[in-house]
Amino acid sequence: MVTTPDARGAPSARRGHRRVPWTFLGVVPFFVFATMFLVIPTSYLVVGSFRDQAGNFTVQNYLDLSRPLTANAYTTSIEISLVTAILGGILGFLLAYAVIAGGLPMPIRTGIMTFSGVASNFAGVPLALAFIFTIGRTGFVTVILKTVLGVDVYGAGFTIYSKLGLEIVYLYFQLPLMVLIIAPAIDGLKKEWREASENAGASTFQYWRFIALPVLMPSLMGSMILLFGNAFGAQATAFALTGGFINLVTILIGGQLSGDVLGNQNLGYALAMGMVAIMAVTILAYSWLARRAERWQR
Amino acid sequence: MTGSINRPPQMLEALTHHPPGRPRRPGPRGLQRKTLASWLFLLLGIAYFALPLVGTLIFSLRAKPMLSAWTDMINDPQVWSTLGYSFAIGVVTITVSIVLLVPTAFWVRLRLPRLRPVVEFVTLLPFVVPPIVLVFGLITTFSQPPLPLTGTNFGSDVLLVCAYVILSLPYMYRAVDAGLRTIDIQTLTEACQSLGAGWATILWRVILPNLRVSILSGAFLTLAIVVGEFTIANFLARPMFATYLQQISGNLAYQPAAVALMSFGITWGAMGVIALVGRGNQGRIEIGGAH
Amino acid sequence: MASSGTDLTSLIAAAKAEGGLTTIALPRSWCGYGALLDGFTAKYGIPINNLNPDGSSQQELDAITANKGNKGPAAPDVIDVGLSYGPKAVSEGLLAPYKVSTWADIPDSAKDASGYWYGDYYGVMSFEVNTSVVTNVPQDWSDLLTQGKNTVALAGDPTQSSQAVMAVWAAALASGGSVDNAQPGLDFFKKLNDAGIFVPVIGKTATVASGETPIRIAWTYNALADKDSLAGNPPITVVVPKTGRLGGMYIQAISAYAPHPNAAKLWMEYLYSNEGQLGWMNGYCSPIRYDAMLKANSIPADVAAKLPDTSGALLPTLDQITAATNTITTGWATSVGITVK
Repeated sequence: MVTTPDARGAPSARRGHRRVPWTFLGVVPFFVFATMFLVIPTSYLVVGSFRDQAGNFTVQNYLDLSRPLTANAYTTSIEISLVTAILGGILGFLLAYAVIAGGLPMPIRTGIMTFSGVASNFAGVPLALAFIFTIGRTGFVTVILKTVLGVDVYGAGFTIYSKLGLEIVYLYFQLPLMVLIIAPAIDGLKKEWREASENAGASTFQYWRFIALPVLMPSLMGSMILLFGNAFGAQATAFALTGGFINLVTILIGGQLSGDVLGNQNLGYALAMGMVAIMAVTILAYSWLARRAERWQR
Repeated sequence: MTGSINRPPQMLEALTHHPPGRPRRPGPRGLQRKTLASWLFLLLGIAYFALPLVGTLIFSLRAKPMLSAWTDMINDPQVWSTLGYSFAIGVVTITVSIVLLVPTAFWVRLRLPRLRPVVEFVTLLPFVVPPIVLVFGLITTFSQPPLPLTGTNFGSDVLLVCAYVILSLPYMYRAVDAGLRTIDIQTLTEACQSLGAGWATILWRVILPNLRVSILSGAFLTLAIVVGEFTIANFLARPMFATYLQQISGNLAYQPAAVALMSFGITWGAMGVIALVGRGNQGRIEIGGAH
Repeated sequence: MASSGTDLTSLIAAAKAEGGLTTIALPRSWCGYGALLDGFTAKYGIPINNLNPDGSSQQELDAITANKGNKGPAAPDVIDVGLSYGPKAVSEGLLAPYKVSTWADIPDSAKDASGYWYGDYYGVMSFEVNTSVVTNVPQDWSDLLTQGKNTVALAGDPTQSSQAVMAVWAAALASGGSVDNAQPGLDFFKKLNDAGIFVPVIGKTATVASGETPIRIAWTYNALADKDSLAGNPPITVVVPKTGRLGGMYIQAISAYAPHPNAAKLWMEYLYSNEGQLGWMNGYCSPIRYDAMLKANSIPADVAAKLPDTSGALLPTLDQITAATNTITTGWATSVGITVK
């Protein structure tokens, strides 16, 4: 079934030793671009993390990563990123499914898709302020709940200036991101499968369990990794909302790299390298899981 | 019969294995329930997304006189010129991004699956590289020969576009990859090649149209990033929207709220235009007897 | 190293020939910089490119370093940074020395002997109060402890922002500490936090106006600029506390890699002339030549009246700043319970 194309294109996978150079040519532009505009500028990060402030080689910056404050920052960042990735992933998937395959009219789908585009990048100070104006202590929803419904959320212990508050705010850009990224996958769920499965007598649960979810799983996981990375790297929103009161790695990095108070830039670089390492581990875990999930498709 | 790539084996089992009891047919009730659930969920979602915007609106209207925060911003010509500039850069970024990533994602899926973790790692790096490190790295690298881009406005624009392509890598790649999963690129490619098509034709006339939804998603995300991005535009000294916003915010309270909503609305409108333009041909290329 | 004196006309000509000036991290509302930037351009016809208005001092130094080979518009000519960044910039070789014509008027403690950097203005810690929400306006640091819950906020993160560090330090001065002992400031904020009075968010103009952080601790010039821009909607009162008056000084310097070195020098001449100093006063900052100008009767009465009463303000030395900053940045997390989840 495998045809061998003409010599203009790349040889088929069945050829011998000459395959290697030509096949890799296809990804050369990408890697050249990434090297020029991502890897080389980032190399200052790598080099700087191994230097001390006088410019000498040291690993002290990496040793400093194990101090309680920085270790705690990593665990908090990972925790918040995981929670918002999973929650945003599930809710985003449900919303995307509702507008794409849930029987809603087409204009609603376009509206939600385009809205998700904008909302996915609505972050930083404007987002933090928007939530403060809404569910902050003097936010209009808080006030309405108190005066009209007699519910005093702040009296009950809720505060937006907490991990929970930060997670609620993060969802504002995590959810739309999920909607946008999973949309093509949901679009690809052929409705013939649903019809065929129902004709065969399968229940909705069985359809999901045996057909839809296995097909979607690699995309779902890939999207959640993206959400994880998105939350992990978020700085402006967290800083605007928490002012450093919640210990996050990105805020620590910002303090070292661009504070108004003399910091240790090299420590900042090491902190960032720590984040790179965590992303690498995450990708490895995801690749392994994705390979397992994709086995069901072959 | 169709190729087996997109048909999980479980489905074949489901087709032949009849569970005990009366086979259920999808009656009108089932469809109604599903649509009702969809509407409910949609309304909840809309409530969550609308409330913070309403909060910002209410705050912006606290200015005295009430609409002055809005009129101040609407009447400021630089708000519009920087917004236009950001959009222009956004369109260029989207184009470069598509040209770079679609062939790459396609090629990796088709021929180099073992390279995938490497490519994915590279596309996720922009998340963990602090933008300030990236921009200073870019400036340092490209202030000197062989490519002194920062010396001229045009060079700085080029650098800006390239930086934004990097920033949009995670989103664009993931969207394109998700889209590629849903089509059988192996079979499509072989069919096209057996008809004598070269790679360019395959990509442009066959793969790209099938990735409409993905590319639109990626385009939306990229545009939003470019319009909202601050750090890189700032240090490259280009007249972008977010930097102008920051400049006028200073110690103002109501105007920044008004302009945040304005830019939200305008960007949303621009995406609506992109969506309409990208609507084009709704058809998907199917293979074999899929019906 | 040049001192201009009689070369002012040739300096103006050289600056004009360069055709532009690039400044960095100068918010228009900070110390009246908006009027100063416009005034410079109007007077000499040299357009100014103002980068990164909200930038931090570290970013300014980084911008010089990154743009060493760049003569384009992204390379800053002049910087305005916190006092502690002067020596750092000198040690990194980022500055070009220059002594303005009014050099003698600048106190010795506020300038580098070789002319690499020179103090420009200072302000004092104050309370910015939204009086439509707060009825019991605090007059001193101890009054803060009697405020209602969730009312007081800082204008930054004390581990990153010098404005916030100075706030904690000023609280120390008022609570039994001294210029050499900043620990009582940390204890003060711990008390404030435990009592629920402290709001754990960075106070901005918008949060003061919305009532979320009705009392913000910020520099006098920032608080007064807010008061002006909000114009009574809502009404703001700015109080300089009776005790614990700490002055925070910033410094000016010229980049060693400036694409427009003569324009940079002219800008300095402008800032340190009477016109420039009065411009800072209009922005509610105390300019560095204040005493000299007072003696020479160069300050119009209405401008002098604008400056808040900051008598008794202590201006710390570089060593004291380093020590106090260290105490506060390392002690902040434990004082307000950040690591304890």
